Amino acid sequence: MNHSKHSAGNLLGQGLCAALLYAAAITAVHAALGAAVVLPPLTQPASGEHHVGKVVWADLVTPDLDGAKRFYGALFGWTFRGMPGDSNYALALLDGEPVAGLFQKTLPAGQSQQPAWLTFLAVRDVDAAQQGALQHGGKVLFKAHYYPHRGRQAVLADPDGAVFAVLAAEGGDPPDYLAVPGEWIWSSLLVADPKHETDFYKSLFGYDVYDLASEGGSEADAQHYILSSDNYARAGLNGLPADSLRRHPHWLNFVRVADAADTAKKAVALGGRVLVEPRIDRHGGRLAVLADPGGAPFGVMEWSDADTKQEPQ
Amino acid sequence: MKRMIRSWRIGAVGLLALVTLAACVVGGYEGDGGGGYEGDGGVGYVGGVYEPGGYVYGGWPGGYRVGPPRGDVRGPGGRAAPSIPHGARGGGGHRDGGKGH
Repeated sequence: MNHSKHSAGNLLGQGLCAALLYAAAITAVHAALGAAVVLPPLTQPASGEHHVGKVVWADLVTPDLDGAKRFYGALFGWTFRGMPGDSNYALALLDGEPVAGLFQKTLPAGQSQQPAWLTFLAVRDVDAAQQGALQHGGKVLFKAHYYPHRGRQAVLADPDGAVFAVLAAEGGDPPDYLAVPGEWIWSSLLVADPKHETDFYKSLFGYDVYDLASEGGSEADAQHYILSSDNYARAGLNGLPADSLRRHPHWLNFVRVADAADTAKKAVALGGRVLVEPRIDRHGGRLAVLADPGGAPFGVMEWSDADTKQEPQ
Repeated sequence: MKRMIRSWRIGAVGLLALVTLAACVVGGYEGDGGGGYEGDGGVGYVGGVYEPGGYVYGGWPGGYRVGPPRGDVRGPGGRAAPSIPHGARGGGGHRDGGKGH
């Protein structure tokens, strides 16, 4: 009888112990599942293409995710989708295709910092790019990190302090095509020392550098370089305006729009600001620089069929 | 009774092993490569960076140009300025280009 009671007690104890362990382990699995943010691939189906040096993605870092969704949704017609694993990250889509990421992060108290768009450049090997950046005077702000389906990425700063990210996309990079209105069409890097910076970016991405000033440009083209890969212009590299204003080196991305002036007006009506009034840029193209309600700068740029270079038949 | 206890033990150990394995697999998603200055541990998205504040991002002087060349632009030596991609989406592109990392 005693033996039987003892066995029943043991059985109950072991069962309880197993149940507790099971509950704890299940909780741990759920917590881990909840923490693993799953970003969609850049291309679906996988492109299998690689375009080193191409601007392939942009993430907004903002303290107000809902406000940013309202602003960019109304301005560019973007729609948004939450990402499993991180309620602070939203995917922006244009006609169902991923176009950008919006990431909510608390602004650190007591520090003067400002929201910004983070520019992602394609690489094949993030670790090598990280190493190369360090060797050529850059910094690693966030070490390489892997996201299932998206790929491996790191956040770096160039020798001037301009922040950018590198991404080795798991399914390959998006193919080269002309952006439609609402998509990113151009990126500019504005720095204090353009010549030195061209060397840095050339060493990381193998860019061909086209110096607009020495190729017959005007005085206004001084310190304006075009960084290209695969025979396509990937970004511009400019000296920061030489004035008395307090300026910081940065990447600036442009969304293609049908009318820069109309977009600027709309941005203001939505709570944004105009940083550079709509103006004629190179070869008659019109652009403007705006800031969203959180203060993140971005550009808008018009592009017409006549602007497109015709390939020889 | 002994057989019942043994089977409970085996069951509990087996279940624990399976759940532990599952927890390790899920945790491995975020563990690769570690995080950075702010990302160690890899919980959620890593990489959001604010720019330093107090700087001016606009107010460009007249004649300050940042856009890409448009149309067929050539330098004095006949070297063509690179253009942005021009084909329509789905029209195919170059493969495996680039010379960097």
